[in-house]
Amino acid sequence: MFGRSRLSRAFILTASLAVTGCAGWVENNLTQAPNPWRRLAPADLPVTLPNSPQFPIVAGRTRTTGAIYTSYMVVLGNPTTLPGENRLTLDVHTLPDSLVGALIQPPRVFPVPLYSTQTLTVTLAREFPGMTVKVADGARRNRYGDYDYAVAQDAANTCVFAWQLISDHDRMLPRRIEAVRLEYRVCGSDRNPRVLLRSFDEMALTLPETVLEIDDLKRL
Amino acid sequence: MNRLIRPLLGAALIGLSVGASTALAASTPGGRALAPGVKVDVAPAPGSGPAAAPGAMDDSALRYYARIGDVERLEAEIARLRALDPSWEPPKDLFTPQAATPGVDESPFWALLSAGKFAEARAAIAEQRRQSPSWQPSAKLLQELDVAEGANRLRGASDTKRWQDVIDAAAAQPEAVACNRLDNAWRLAEAYAELKQTDRAFDRYKTIVSQCPKAKERRDTIFKASRYLSPEQLRELTAIGATANPAAGEDYTTVRKVEGELESGRLLERLGNPKGGALSAADLSRVEQTTRDKQDADAAIALGWYFQRQKKHAEAQSWFAEANGWSPSDKAAEGLILALAGMGKKAEAREAGTPWRGKSSRVDQALKAVADPPRGGTGGGPAAPQGPSELDMALARNDFAGCLNAVQRMIARSGPTAALVQQRGWCLLELKRPTEAEAAFVEAQALAAREPAKSDKPAKPTSRRANSDRGLEDNATPAQENAYGQAVARLATGDVAGLTRDLPRANLTTTQKAEIRASLLATEANRALEDKRYLDALRLLDARKELEPEPRNLGILRGWSLYNLHRLDQAYALFKSLDDRLSTEESREGLSTTWKTIYHDW
Repeated sequence: MFGRSRLSRAFILTASLAVTGCAGWVENNLTQAPNPWRRLAPADLPVTLPNSPQFPIVAGRTRTTGAIYTSYMVVLGNPTTLPGENRLTLDVHTLPDSLVGALIQPPRVFPVPLYSTQTLTVTLAREFPGMTVKVADGARRNRYGDYDYAVAQDAANTCVFAWQLISDHDRMLPRRIEAVRLEYRVCGSDRNPRVLLRSFDEMALTLPETVLEIDDLKRL
Repeated sequence: MNRLIRPLLGAALIGLSVGASTALAASTPGGRALAPGVKVDVAPAPGSGPAAAPGAMDDSALRYYARIGDVERLEAEIARLRALDPSWEPPKDLFTPQAATPGVDESPFWALLSAGKFAEARAAIAEQRRQSPSWQPSAKLLQELDVAEGANRLRGASDTKRWQDVIDAAAAQPEAVACNRLDNAWRLAEAYAELKQTDRAFDRYKTIVSQCPKAKERRDTIFKASRYLSPEQLRELTAIGATANPAAGEDYTTVRKVEGELESGRLLERLGNPKGGALSAADLSRVEQTTRDKQDADAAIALGWYFQRQKKHAEAQSWFAEANGWSPSDKAAEGLILALAGMGKKAEAREAGTPWRGKSSRVDQALKAVADPPRGGTGGGPAAPQGPSELDMALARNDFAGCLNAVQRMIARSGPTAALVQQRGWCLLELKRPTEAEAAFVEAQALAAREPAKSDKPAKPTSRRANSDRGLEDNATPAQENAYGQAVARLATGDVAGLTRDLPRANLTTTQKAEIRASLLATEANRALEDKRYLDALRLLDARKELEPEPRNLGILRGWSLYNLHRLDQAYALFKSLDDRLSTEESREGLSTTWKTIYHDW
């Protein structure tokens, strides 16, 4: 539900734009629910993954939520018979590019903190039903800094679930990007989770505006 | 339904009390019914003077509610005053315009109070006292203002889930949670429950069902409480509600029935859930009895599938037959066909499907399964004589991982066929891997095009979806089956825009196309509701309804669209109709919220 302040802001905006003949703009921009997913060719995805015969890119998709969130999903091959798709998701939160855009903002597409103990438990149970799940004690590091992950296993399969928030404006993110959320979920038959995490460790973001890698800064 | 006609009555009373009240009052001698059980004598002529002696009873609020035609509050105030003095009778000149009395007219303050402008009301009273230092506002006005402010604080805290503040507000102003403000009383009980103080919540619910006289209010309170209380506590609550402090003219049998309705609802939900496990003999017996008593065809079908899943085909057949007898439907016929087939009575199974043959895809598919049980992976060839294949057994167990393994082994053994790859697509869909499923259907399409002399013939049912309620038509070619699989997969991935664009050109049968179109419209309607485009949601649902009957979940969606468009009577009628057929948490929530909204200011 709308809060009172948001309602009043939206009302003022609607009224002022309607009288100035911008009702169409208002109609388009008041839509804050996520738009439907659209297909995206792998070459057009803003991320490059290492070649992996085990986890090839099956399809790419994108959708927007309001004017400031763009989400991408890369569906990867799944060599197991487990339910659920192997995937990498990327949510880009940009800053509004106008005062008007700042007045109407959709609800966040991802929470910060990304997970609490409770929400992580629910998510892992949903992603890996019936499997033994363990959240890793220590973080790992990829090109964009530290990330956390969990490992799920049954007799024949191993799965990993990794999540990462890039929000370092001082060093990594361009001004226009508020934050980037990454999630990676992959199941395979290899017992070593590091093998399953390889794509996440080695991926490179290719957003229109450069996101610096953590090692770029060391080289300076 | 009384509550639905009260606004009309209120509106009528406004007319009576404002313009033509004198003439009408004079021309309708005797009593005027405000609501069931409440009658107020109307003076035969104006000017008969105030009924109550000064100082005997403060009737200023009563007169104000009568003047503005607020029947609910008028009724509550009459009940309150009668509770204070059982011998008290409402004044005879309640609807007669009052001559201007000397002193200060309190109407403006009451108007502000009624509009929820409490601060303005207090400011206006203070200003009036500054102008007329000798004037004192009526005690009733001040009391109502206190209560209304307390009630407002309580609602605000409840809306923002500040549960302790709800309890504090109620403690500071107990009248704010009295029976005439039942919504607040519910919110207080809810606050206790949310704070895990279940015993206190239980006490509050007990107070409501024992003190509030109306049967409907007691019934709704028990439904509300069902969210928080244990079955034992609900049983006790029902017993209290059905017997405590009965009011004349109220029929409490509806209260007694609540427990059974709640229990049946819970059991039916478990029945319908394949993972719900087996019911105890006592529970099963209870739900069977309720189903028979109500001749509830939907519940009978749920029972039928429950037994069918356990391979108790005779019991399943009996319930599907009952359902078909009470209310013939293709769903019941489908179950009947499969149950009879499970019993080995194929001729009877075919006969059971005759009335729906060619009219219902689900029945046609069931008949097809009876006539020619699918043999996944045989590529449409003759059925293997040596019993069910590994793939058949995996599908019968709803073991879709097993299905993938079986398909993989068969492909490794004899190479890929269009049918096998298509089957892999259906199993991937069941495993919630729609993107890979779509790729499988595309691959199956390519294979089918290469397989000789099959692409232009109707497909044999070489592959299938378990628990499918989507019918693959008799006359669908392999190409059409694959295109249909792709469309279903794209729906599952949320590719609504792309699918909408491609659907007109897709190689699908008319029925398949209508089915996909209906699903697209349902998805769009859901999105429209989330996006608060309620008129759009209704438009899309109406369009969908022309293609297929509206399922229950979309009926709920339609109800909320109507509710948000403030078409409350329509929303209430729809939720009521859904709830009468099968009472679920969703239908009860819709019903209760709409009802509360219509009568928010009791």
